Order: sequence, then structure tokens, then C-alpha cells
Amino acid sequence: MSENILIEGPVSQAVILNGLDGFNQYPDAGGISIFIGKVRNDVVSGKYVQAIEYSAYEALVIKEAEKIFSSVKEEFPEVKLIKVFHSVGIVNAGEISMAAIVAAIHRDQAMQACKKIVELVKVKLPIWKKEIYTDLTYMWKQDNLA
Amino acid sequence: MEIKVFFFGILGDIAKTGFKHYRNITSFHDLEHRIEDDYPEFVHYTYRIAVNNEITDEKPDLKDGDQVALMPPFSGG
Repeated sequence: MSENILIEGPVSQAVILNGLDGFNQYPDAGGISIFIGKVRNDVVSGKYVQAIEYSAYEALVIKEAEKIFSSVKEEFPEVKLIKVFHSVGIVNAGEISMAAIVAAIHRDQAMQACKKIVELVKVKLPIWKKEIYTDLTYMWKQDNLA
Repeated sequence: MEIKVFFFGILGDIAKTGFKHYRNITSFHDLEHRIEDDYPEFVHYTYRIAVNNEITDEKPDLKDGDQVALMPPFSGG
């Protein structure tokens, strides 16, 4: 389920749309919730964020993602399918760095489970980001404390 | 024993490499000291440990060939 989580570069619309394909096999799932996260062109101490470079501990990402998916399915038993895509490498400001898609029998659980997935991905998956500014200096971000 | 240590996030920047082999290690405590000797700046950072792709909050018992990862706080998303 989680073997294709990490995507080199930005998460393309094609990846997200292809990700939706598998949801057809669950006709009992009446709600699909999608979260799409983009890199913001924040201003940090007067410097503009040009891009974020993500790095990951791939083997552990896959393992921890399975744990996240299991715990969310346990908490939200109506959930039928979960897919997550997250970038590694360079993602420019304005581009997509993460997408989560959750299908459930009803919309409430689809939306709640999607929110939970996004929160857990940020704190549980061994992924790191480095903000790269327009002057090509950079800073490691360490803001997601588990 | 020989242990392969991976440095992630800012720790890789400081170490200027993604991994390093440590030889003649006697214990995790010994490994910690060897790493601190090589990279004294690490003391300013918090990080979690994974051994063979398993996160641990304990001081692990190591065996020859183990892979240890030093992981600063995650920041995905």
C-alpha cells in the first residue's frame, strides 16, 4: 500500500490522478477526501523561500507509513483506502510536496481520517526539509516534534 | 564489531557524509563516544535512534553488522 509514497521532485497532478484510480474498487466508499500540500514562498528573516529540498530515510518511511495507515484505519473503521505521496529532492515554491487521499464509507470519516493522516505524516515519517532561499543560502527546518 | 551509522538531516550536513563505518565498537555507549569525538557539534542537536530500520528509545544492544541511524526531529509535509 505504501511502497510508492516517495516521489522524486514535486508531486505531479498526474501522480495524484493516477492515485485515484484504485479507489474505483471500493463502491461502498461514498466519500473521498484529498489533501494537497504545496511549498509556500514564505519570507524568513527577509529572505524569500525559493524551494524546499526534502530528504528521507526511505526504508523507515515505508515501515512507519504502514503503522500510520493501520492506526488510522483502527481509529476510523469506515476507511477503505489510504494513499499518500510525499516528495524527496527539490520542490520549488508553488509546487506540490505532499498529497493524501482517503476513501471512507461516509464523508465525515474520510475528512477526519485525511486530517489525521496528514498530521501523522508530518510527525512520524522520517523526512527532513531544508528551506532554500532566493540568495541560495539554506536552513534546515526542525518544526515537527513528535 | 563493525557498525554502519547513517546521518540524516542536518547531521549529514555536519558530518559531510550520509554514513560512516565504525570498527572495533564494543557497545552502543562506545559508539556514542566515537561519534561525539568525530562530530562534537552533534551535542547541540537532539536526535532519535533507529537500529536496522526500527526506531528505539532505549540504548540498544548492538551486534556486528548492525545499521544505526541518527535522526533529528522530522519535518515532512
